[in-house]
Amino acid sequence: MPPAPIRQLEHVMGTVVTIDVFPARPADDAWTADLRQRLDQASAVLHRADEVFSTWRPDSPVSRFRRGEILLNDAPPEVATVMSACEVARQLSGGWFDPWAMPGGFDPTGYVKGWAAQHALAALDDLAMHGALVNAAGDIASTGRQPSGDAFRIGIADPDHPRRLAEIVELTGCIATSGTYERGSHLIDPHSGLPAARAASASVVGPDLGLADALATAIAVAGADGLEVVERLAGYEALVVGSDGRRHPTSQFPFARASGG
Amino acid sequence: MKRAPIVIAGTVAGLVAVLEFHTTPAKLTLAGGSSLAAGSSAAPATAGGAGTTTQPASGATTSPGAASGQANARTATGPQINYNFGVLSVKVTVSGGKIRKVGIAYLDDGGNPRSQFIDQQSIPILEQEALAAQSANIQGVSGASFTSAGFTQSLQSALHSLGM
Repeated sequence: MPPAPIRQLEHVMGTVVTIDVFPARPADDAWTADLRQRLDQASAVLHRADEVFSTWRPDSPVSRFRRGEILLNDAPPEVATVMSACEVARQLSGGWFDPWAMPGGFDPTGYVKGWAAQHALAALDDLAMHGALVNAAGDIASTGRQPSGDAFRIGIADPDHPRRLAEIVELTGCIATSGTYERGSHLIDPHSGLPAARAASASVVGPDLGLADALATAIAVAGADGLEVVERLAGYEALVVGSDGRRHPTSQFPFARASGG
Repeated sequence: MKRAPIVIAGTVAGLVAVLEFHTTPAKLTLAGGSSLAAGSSAAPATAGGAGTTTQPASGATTSPGAASGQANARTATGPQINYNFGVLSVKVTVSGGKIRKVGIAYLDDGGNPRSQFIDQQSIPILEQEALAAQSANIQGVSGASFTSAGFTQSLQSALHSLGM
């Protein structure tokens, strides 16, 4: 039985974010106090992101910005930060991820969940631990490794057979998965403005969960044809599961070895 | 699967430590029964506003030997948990230190089509995840959805009541 993580459940962003920490050694009082403080920071990051970026809360800065009630300069500074990152993601995705093409105006939702989870994970930097995972509704940021020294292993849900895992990934960094089975018609083709998805599910691994989240959204819409945009990005790999169940990975996608279980 | 929401790490067999910081002082408990850290609040954490809340808890109920076909199998039903779309409770059967079976004991998602859709998609994933996590040695599932938080909480309570 592998050593257990310490887990915090954070109710935020309309879902629950799980934070798992694998201590470097048995937790003593000093370490626990350090952990507690960092988890408080991580929690604050997530709740702040929810308050600022929620498109469900009519009074959030992003909602007010979408309605034209405030200008970007009047919004909290992280809105401009995220907007810049979304523009980078839009370009890197070949336009398949486009928060400006969403119904109702600028909608960074496809980026923010991963971005927030990544920043929450950063609150754990330098903690004495083997590794940690922040799992925001299936979009996962990680640092470090299992206590065994092995990479974290993450299952990808099979979109067509919910009782199975489609694949298992040896994770370094982050993974985001997007698909119609999860978000239904919320996937919008930015080129047409209409609901569309050419993949049953798309997963992207890489160093930054915000960008991985955006790219997963992009490829879920674009389908296997969108893989080339990830193939060009150093450090990022992707897996598309087609509606026919076929797997379309990029060249270095980190499939777990058959053993390990 | 997932998870978000939530997700059952590769430690569902009972060693998962759960930190709940929604109350002050926060409570840090290990599923094994030991309690690390301070906190006089005995009430399960309650999330303010949106999110999942734990029922004040009588906790899980257990029924020794209820499972068929497994010697020494024990079954427990977790508490009913409020999650985004309603209320659910998880039933788990263990034997030999392993989870043998996981399922939904109670579910009321209000009959809303979207809630039903998400539940239909995610609950089988979560059931599988609980089993796969221990067989596949995984620390999470990518692609989970909203239902998983309540599922995880109820499952952990059920496992706790079985001493796992």
